[in-house]
Amino acid sequence: MNTVTVEALRAWSCDGLKWLSKRPGQVISAVAVAVLVTARIRLASVRRERRKRWAKIGKDIVVLHGFPRGRYTPNASPFVMKLETYLRLAKITYVFDDTEPIGPKGQGPWITLNGEEIADSQLIIEALGRKFDKNFTSRLPKEQQAIALAMNLMMTEHITWGLRIWRYVIDKGEQLRKCSRYDLVSELAVYLWFPRIAKKRAWAQGIGRHSEKEVEEMMRQDFAALSDYLGDKPFLMGDNPCEVDCTLFGYISQVLWNYNGSPYGKMVKEDYPNLEAHHSRMKTLLYPDWDALSSLAVKE
Amino acid sequence: MTEEVNSSEEMKEIDVTPSPGSILTVMISILVTTFLVYIYRRIIVRQIRRSVWKSAGDDVVLVHCPTPGYLTPNISPFVMKLLTYLRLAQIPYKLEHDEPMGAKGKTPWITLNGEELHDSQLIIEALSKKFDKDFNSGLSEEEKAIARGFAMMIEEHIAWGLRVWRFIVDDGRTLLEGMKQPFFVSLIKPIFVRSQKAALWYQGLGRHSPSEVENMITADLRALSKYLGRKPYLMGDNLTEVDCTMFAFMANILYNYNRSPYYDIIKGEFTNLYDYVLRVKGRLWPDWNQCLEKTKLK
Repeated sequence: MNTVTVEALRAWSCDGLKWLSKRPGQVISAVAVAVLVTARIRLASVRRERRKRWAKIGKDIVVLHGFPRGRYTPNASPFVMKLETYLRLAKITYVFDDTEPIGPKGQGPWITLNGEEIADSQLIIEALGRKFDKNFTSRLPKEQQAIALAMNLMMTEHITWGLRIWRYVIDKGEQLRKCSRYDLVSELAVYLWFPRIAKKRAWAQGIGRHSEKEVEEMMRQDFAALSDYLGDKPFLMGDNPCEVDCTLFGYISQVLWNYNGSPYGKMVKEDYPNLEAHHSRMKTLLYPDWDALSSLAVKE
Repeated sequence: MTEEVNSSEEMKEIDVTPSPGSILTVMISILVTTFLVYIYRRIIVRQIRRSVWKSAGDDVVLVHCPTPGYLTPNISPFVMKLLTYLRLAQIPYKLEHDEPMGAKGKTPWITLNGEELHDSQLIIEALSKKFDKDFNSGLSEEEKAIARGFAMMIEEHIAWGLRVWRFIVDDGRTLLEGMKQPFFVSLIKPIFVRSQKAALWYQGLGRHSPSEVENMITADLRALSKYLGRKPYLMGDNLTEVDCTMFAFMANILYNYNRSPYYDIIKGEFTNLYDYVLRVKGRLWPDWNQCLEKTKLK
């Protein structure tokens, strides 16, 4: 290039920079928009790639999308544990994936099966129960089925919230982060966002309006009911485990391992030992690889 | 002559537009007056009300709730649950409608001997202790656990499923149909409906399609119907606390939800639930019709 063109270029770029520096707001906005649009396009293509991969996993193999593995439990989410425990109980082949824990309904876990996406652990269990003919509760007498449903809902619709209050509002997600193997993005999300959104959710649901002590007392009554109903039986509904045992296992695992500093671990260990015994029983039966799944030493 | 012209010109020049200073003074006066009226209402009127409430009578429960409904004594099933319990326990009570929403933003709440209590379940537990009423004493530990499970199913799942129908499917129409509302309520109804939809999203049930929710709630009603079976009351031959909850919600479906699929289900497939409502109504609400709001708003 001859010197005239270089000079012209330099003058032009100087003028250009001067022009831009006079409009910092517009420059920053333009750059931000460009970054966001690029990120969205990239994210969309990453998601498409993932879904292609999941659809090719294999016929009738469940891809279980959940939150990253825990340090002391296979997962720090009671819903992921409930679903994974059911898959093991029903001997349904599955693959665990933590790249996209939030699913179509804005919650996790969710699954992909033969390319189809299903959300909500309860709906998933019902759909899989129909597809693979593994509905354990339907084999019980009608009255027992009713009780199983009620106990299941007491856990998923009430204990869930009481535990969320401690985990996010009182503890501000600290135990959750300590007990999970999060990457930086997830860690930040839990640190910055989860506690705030949990408080809003708990207020809307109603439980967030009570005092700490009132919530603790409600949880105590729920655990007492579960313990009283379990009694001396090996599993909640009798001699064989069924779906509601998976739910109970999911919650007791959390309380025993991921709730240090809360009143609940002590409550279960001291006052409701049969719930701890149920936990051990389910763990031995369905998670021979518990340590391998949750160990600090193992890198997936 | 000249002087007259001058003075009329002078008069034309007198500036009658208010100065910025006086506009500001007027605005501030309006704001201060509004604020003082607000303070008066919130603090002084509340104090006056509370001293009136204290004179309700020793050990008389004053239940703060919305005004009676056209079709049920109250449009809120939680109010119905509490009133049903008070009738079961034969605890004298009075209704009060000036401040239906309590400190926790919920209704009902009560004043008893000057003390305020909130949340229907916490109220019932406190009253059971105070008046020494235990309707669960005839149940085994296992049966008490089952009763709690069903109570949770009704209050924490069916209640929300019904809200999905009321606000997402039916757009809140039953709010205006079920009770007398001042005219402006129909104006602000869309805002209230939107806030309830947001609450349903936060709670979780609002994330499912209405037909998924309908399946879930139908399964719950089936469970209640199967467990009730041929028994007169949920846990057996005698009324227990969970019957107050169950009656409140089943009656709510029967009377306030007659356009919903749940009404058809109760009257069609699970008729023992329908019979149950009539049974408890006859037993604890013989004066049902007298408790309803008679005058309609034009």
